[in-house]
Amino acid sequence: MSLIGRRRERQPYEMQEEREVKSPTSWAGRWSRAFLLVFVLFAAWIAAPLSALADPPQPEKAVRGPCVRDAEWMRRNHMDCLKHKREETVREGKAVPTESFLSCISCHPSKERFCDRCHAYVGVAPNCFDCHQYPK
Amino acid sequence: MTMDRRSVLGLGGAIAAGVALAPGLHLIAAPPAPTAASGTGKRWAMLIDTTKCSADCTACTKACRAENNVPLFGDPQRDIHWIRKVELKDQTLRRPAVSLPVLCNHCENPPCVHVCPTEASFIRHDGLVLIDKHRCIGCRYCIIACPYKARSLVFHKTRPAKDANPKVPIRAAGVVEKCTFCAHLIDEGKLPACVEACAKADKGAMLFGDLNDPNSEISQRLRKEKSQTIRADLGLNPHVHYQGI
Ligand code: SF4
Ligand code: SF4
Repeated sequence: MSLIGRRRERQPYEMQEEREVKSPTSWAGRWSRAFLLVFVLFAAWIAAPLSALADPPQPEKAVRGPCVRDAEWMRRNHMDCLKHKREETVREGKAVPTESFLSCISCHPSKERFCDRCHAYVGVAPNCFDCHQYPK
Repeated sequence: MTMDRRSVLGLGGAIAAGVALAPGLHLIAAPPAPTAASGTGKRWAMLIDTTKCSADCTACTKACRAENNVPLFGDPQRDIHWIRKVELKDQTLRRPAVSLPVLCNHCENPPCVHVCPTEASFIRHDGLVLIDKHRCIGCRYCIIACPYKARSLVFHKTRPAKDANPKVPIRAAGVVEKCTFCAHLIDEGKLPACVEACAKADKGAMLFGDLNDPNSEISQRLRKEKSQTIRADLGLNPHVHYQGI
């Protein structure tokens, strides 16, 4: 939201500048107009991807369900759940195949469209898939 | 109210099924989880008959690489081996050379576990010595501690091959790994990949089973037939037994 806000603030300020330099013959006017053009292009270049990020992420809908836990609970707690399951699976040998990484794929076929969208938005980079393979 | 401290803490054999702490509040001793060491759980072990193993056969090592996505980097100094073929030669040349596969022995007193500063190396309830790669910091103490050279450090970054087994993670650079007795297969009730491959290659040199079950084939054969472990003098009580060396 703050990103959108900042972009909106900038526009009236730019227009004011344009109104001030009316005379096309003055050198200063030409220079400042050239500068303004560059500035506006630059601002648009920066703002385009930012405004895309400003909207809440839209992770892909599960292709089927239900999830192993309540979806609302999962949204907040999946990382702790995964860590807990990891300890149980690796150290205690209590693997629950239906709750393993390998079965996430049955409802969420794409890591890029599911995991990555939110992770990129909030700026976290979990390294699960440095080693684990998101099943194809 | 006086209570015996030992019974409250569960020390000694005489703990009552329930100790009343207060009216309506009972302390109940949980039954101990089955473990390999206490003889109540499983104890996986392997028996390798080297007389059935030939020097030119690499069925087990190939199967291991395929099952566990163990890569070859093309640099023998840095290649990772979970299982490797070793040739034993009698220096007096009185006995013929024997070829045998060497892998992690899943020792009962594993020095690799004792030295690990992060408890990444640990003994699982069924006697398997495993590495929790989420915790390993790559200090390599365990590589030095293991007298069987069973462990390798992953020095390079690897990417999964196209035909990689998705059930086994590939590795991040900087962690140590070794044979797991194919824990993921054992948990599904299957045999380790090398044992399976050896049988498929019509050699049948490797036998895998539960030592804590006196009726299992491996227990019976170890009782009846002569077998050895490598460097038994170290007292680590390895669980890969060999015949014919
Ligand atoms: S063979 Fe080496 S790595 Fe395996 S348990 Fe024994 S000491 Fe540890
Ligand atoms: S390299 Fe990893 S497994 Fe080995 S001792 Fe260090 S932390 Fe433990």
